[in-house]
Amino acid sequence: MPEQPPYEPERAIAGTGTGGQMDLAASEATTLEGTPDGPGGSGPGGSSDLGGRPRSLWSDAWHDLRRNPVFIISGLVILFLVVISVWPSLIAPGNPLHCELSKAQEGSQPGHPFGYDGQGCDVYTRTVYGARTSVLVGVLATLGVAVLGSVLGGLAGFFGGVGDSILSRITDVFFAIPVVLGGLVLLSVITSNTVWPVIGFIVLLGWPQISRIARGSVITAKQNDYVQAARALGASNSRLLLRHIAPNAVAPVIVVATIALGTYIALEATLSYLGVGLKPPSVSWGIDISAASPYVRNAPHALLWPSGALAVTVLAFIMLGDAVRDALDPKLR
Amino acid sequence: MGRYVVRRLLQMIPVFIGATLLIFLMVNVMGDPIAGLCGERECDPATAAQLRKEFGLDKPVWQQYLTYMGNVFTGDFGTAFNGQPVTELMGTAFPVTIRLTIVAIVAEIVIGITLGVVTGLRRGRPVDTTVLVLTLVVISVPTFVTGLLLQLLLGVKWEWIRPSVSPEAPFDELIVPGLVLASVSLAYVTRLTRTSIAENRRSDYVRTAIAKGLPRRRVITRHLLRNSLIPVVTFIGTDIGALMGGAIVTERIFNIHGVGYQLYQGILRQNTQTVVGFVTVLVLVFLAANLLVDLLYAVLDPRIRYA
Amino acid sequence: MLLEVRDLHVEFHTRDGVARAVNGVSYAVEAGETLAVLGESGSGKSVTAQAVMGILDMPPGRITAGEVLFEGRDLLKLKEEERRKVRGAEMAMIFQDALSSLNPVLTVGDQLGEMFTVHRGMSRKDARAKAVELMDRVRIPAARERVRQYPHQFSGGMRQRIMIAMAMALEPKLIIADEPTTALDVTVQAQVMELLAELQREFRMGLILITHDLGVVADVADKIAVMYAGRIVESAPVHDIYKAPAHPYTRGLLDSIPRLDQKGRELYAIKGLPPNLTRIPPGCAFHPRCPMAQEVCRTDVPPLYDVTESDAERGSACHFWRECLHG
Repeated sequence: MPEQPPYEPERAIAGTGTGGQMDLAASEATTLEGTPDGPGGSGPGGSSDLGGRPRSLWSDAWHDLRRNPVFIISGLVILFLVVISVWPSLIAPGNPLHCELSKAQEGSQPGHPFGYDGQGCDVYTRTVYGARTSVLVGVLATLGVAVLGSVLGGLAGFFGGVGDSILSRITDVFFAIPVVLGGLVLLSVITSNTVWPVIGFIVLLGWPQISRIARGSVITAKQNDYVQAARALGASNSRLLLRHIAPNAVAPVIVVATIALGTYIALEATLSYLGVGLKPPSVSWGIDISAASPYVRNAPHALLWPSGALAVTVLAFIMLGDAVRDALDPKLR
Repeated sequence: MGRYVVRRLLQMIPVFIGATLLIFLMVNVMGDPIAGLCGERECDPATAAQLRKEFGLDKPVWQQYLTYMGNVFTGDFGTAFNGQPVTELMGTAFPVTIRLTIVAIVAEIVIGITLGVVTGLRRGRPVDTTVLVLTLVVISVPTFVTGLLLQLLLGVKWEWIRPSVSPEAPFDELIVPGLVLASVSLAYVTRLTRTSIAENRRSDYVRTAIAKGLPRRRVITRHLLRNSLIPVVTFIGTDIGALMGGAIVTERIFNIHGVGYQLYQGILRQNTQTVVGFVTVLVLVFLAANLLVDLLYAVLDPRIRYA
Repeated sequence: MLLEVRDLHVEFHTRDGVARAVNGVSYAVEAGETLAVLGESGSGKSVTAQAVMGILDMPPGRITAGEVLFEGRDLLKLKEEERRKVRGAEMAMIFQDALSSLNPVLTVGDQLGEMFTVHRGMSRKDARAKAVELMDRVRIPAARERVRQYPHQFSGGMRQRIMIAMAMALEPKLIIADEPTTALDVTVQAQVMELLAELQREFRMGLILITHDLGVVADVADKIAVMYAGRIVESAPVHDIYKAPAHPYTRGLLDSIPRLDQKGRELYAIKGLPPNLTRIPPGCAFHPRCPMAQEVCRTDVPPLYDVTESDAERGSACHFWRECLHG
C-alpha cells in the first residue's frame, strides 16, 4: 500500500466519476457520498457504499476473498499442486519412467490405483509427476508474460506518442497469429526437450495480451485527478508511475495474469499433445494424453486420469482468477 | 462511414505485413525450408544448393519475402510437399474448415447468447449459478481433452457418431467437432452476454424504458438486448479467425482433412510453402473478420457511425 | 387528491445489512400543484419517487409498508400489468442525466414514438408524426430533421427537452422530475425549468420536483418537503419555509446558500455527514449534526409536529420546533 498522499480532497473527487472503478480513490470516496440517492439511483449498489469504515481496495478484496468458498477451494487445490510438484515422492513413491511392457493397458490394482498405460507405466505416478511440468510452465510463463507485458504496456500507456503507436501495431500483429499454430511452427524445429522453449514461446506470444491490459489501465489511472495533482505538484515521471499509477493499474493485470496462468497450462498440454511441446521421456499430462489416445478403447483410464488432473489444475487457476476479479471489481458486486 | 472503412483498411496493412513477415521469418529462419523437399532422405549438398538457388533461398530474407508476397498476389502460393500446388490443397481444405467454423459460430450464437441472456436476467438464481459453473468447467478443460472425451463417449462407447469424419466432411458429421471447436468460445460468449445484460439491466436507459410503461418483453428485446449484444457481436466476429486457426486440434482428433490437417502435415514435413501460404490466408481471414466486426459495430452503435 | 403517499417504508438488503432508505414518508400532491422534495443524497427522496413510479429495483429494494394512492387507488396493490399501464401514461418521470437515460442506439424519434405505439396502439408513421409534434412543443429547432438523430447528437439542454417531451407525450396527470437540471449548465437550467413549469401550468399536472437546489425551489414550488435519513423532517408552503424554517436541518440548508447581500461572511455548512442508512442514529437521526440537540433528541424519535400557524398546513419533526421557528 502506498502511504496516503497529502492531497486527500483530490482523491475523493477523482473517485466520484464513473471511471476508475478499480482504484483506491473510487472505493474510498463512495463511502463518503454514495447512498441510495446516488446518480445511478437504482438503489445501493454495493456494500462499500453503506459500510461505515473506509477500507482500501486491497483489504476490502482480501476481506471478501477469505469468505469466498471458490477462492478457498481453488487456493487449496493450487497449494496441493505446488507441494506435489516440489516433492512428488511424498505421495508417489514410484519412478515415473519405470515401465513394464508386460503390464501395458492393465487396469487398477493394489498399489497402482490408476492402472497402467499403453507402455506399461504406472498412470498414478506419471499423473503425480506431470503436475511439476504444468505448474513450472504455468508459473514461469506467467511471470515472464506479466513482467514483459506490464512493463511495455505500462510505459507505452504512460508516455504515449510514437512508441505507444508502434507497440499497439505490434500487439495487433501478434493477435493476428493463432497461438497453437504459432506454437507448431516455432516449436516444431526445436530439439531441446526442456520446458524452456515452451515457456519462451508462451512469453513471446502471450505478452501482447497483458500489455494491452496494462496500457489501458495505466491510461485510466493517469487520467485520475490525483495523478494530475501529483504532476502539478512536480512529481517526477518515475515517482508518478511507481507510486501513484502502478498501485492502481496493477489490479487488472493480476486478474488477467492469474486466469492466463490456467490457460498457459492448458496450452503446454495442447502443444505436448500435438507433439511439439515437451516430448518423451519428459513427463507431461499432454504427452500422456496423446500417448493414451490410440489405446482409448482398451485402456480409457490412461486417458482419463491425466485429463482429469489437467482439467482440475486449469480450473483451479481460472477460478482463483475469477474470485480475485470479483473481489477487486466493486462494479460487479 | 466510407472514410471509416478506408481508415480501418489502411490500419490493416501493417498488421498484415507484420503477421505474414513474422510467420515467414519463423518458418524460414528457424527451420530449413529445403530440408523437407528431398522426402525422408537428407538432401545431398549439390541438390540442396541447386534447390536453394531455384527457390531464391540464397537471397536475403526480405527479398524472399517480397518475391513470395508478389507471387501470392498473383495467385501463386507455391508447391506443397507432394508436388501439388498449395492453392489446390487450399481448395479442398478450406471448404471443410469453413463448414466446421460455421457450425461453431452458429453454436456460439444460438447456445451462447441464449444462455447468456437467460442467466444475465436471473443473476444469482440457481440457473445462473449452474450455468456459470458449467462455463468455468468448459473453459478449464482444454479443447483436446473435451474432444477426446466426447469422441470416446459418443463415438466409441455409445456409437452415436463416427469417431472420425469422412473425407467429404458433410455438415451432419461436423456437428460434434464443431461444438468441440466452439466449446471454449461458447462459454466466453455466455459469460460475456451475461455480464453485459446484467450491467445494462441496471442502466439508466433501461430504467427509463420501464418508467415509460413498456412491457417487459419490449424493454428486454428492444432496449436491453440491442445494447448488450454489441460487445458479444464483436467477440464472435473476431473469433472467426481464431476458430479457423485453432481448428488444428479439433481436426486432428476427428481426423478432419481441413486447414488444420494440411498445416499440421506441412509443419511435420517442414514444407515452408504450405505453412506460409495457409497462414497468410488465415491472417487475411482474421483481418477480414475484424473489418466485418468494425462495420457491424458501426451499424449497431450510432455513436461510432457518426463519430 | 391526485397523489397521496402514506407512511411509505423502503429498505435495501445489502451485504452490510439492511439499509433503511425510506422510513415512513407521507406526502401529497394535487393537480396543478408543485411539491419540491429537498434533501442531500441518501435522504431517500429518489427512492420514494421510484417507489411511487414502480421502478424500484426489487430486489435488493423492498417496500415493507405504506400506500401510494393515485386518484384514490393504491398503486402498490395493483398487478404489474396494470401498474405498467399507469407508468408513462398517467404518471411519468424525468431523470437527471438525459444522456444516459436515453437509449444510445435508438433515434429520439423511435424513443418518443414508442410511447404512442405501445400505449395508444398507433402506427409507426403516426407515432413518428407525434414525435415531431412533441419536439416542436418543447422547442427543439428543426424537429422534422432531428427526429431521425440519436441522443448523442443533441446538446445537454436539448436532450433534457427530449426527456421532458417523452414524459409529456401522453399528457400524464403527474410528473416526477428527479433533479432535472442538475446535470445542465446554469444558463440552460433556467430555460429547462421554465419549460417544465410552463407545460405543467398548461396541462394542470401535478409535479414532484426532487432537488437539492433551493434556488430552483423558490421559483417554481408551491410546497416543500425536506427529507433526512428517509424521513420528512419538515413540510411547509414554500414561502413559510424561506421566512422561518421550523427544523434546524432546513435552517442549515438555507444558511448554506451563498447570498449576494451577505458577501464577505463565512459560508455556513452543516457539520458532519449524512448517516449510514444501515445504522441510523437512535432518536432524531439528525441529532449528531444538530446545533440544538439536547438529551431527548438522542433517545426519542420526534413525530411530525403540527406547527401550522397560518391557514396552510405545516409540519416539523423537531422536538424544539418552537425554538427553531422563533429563535
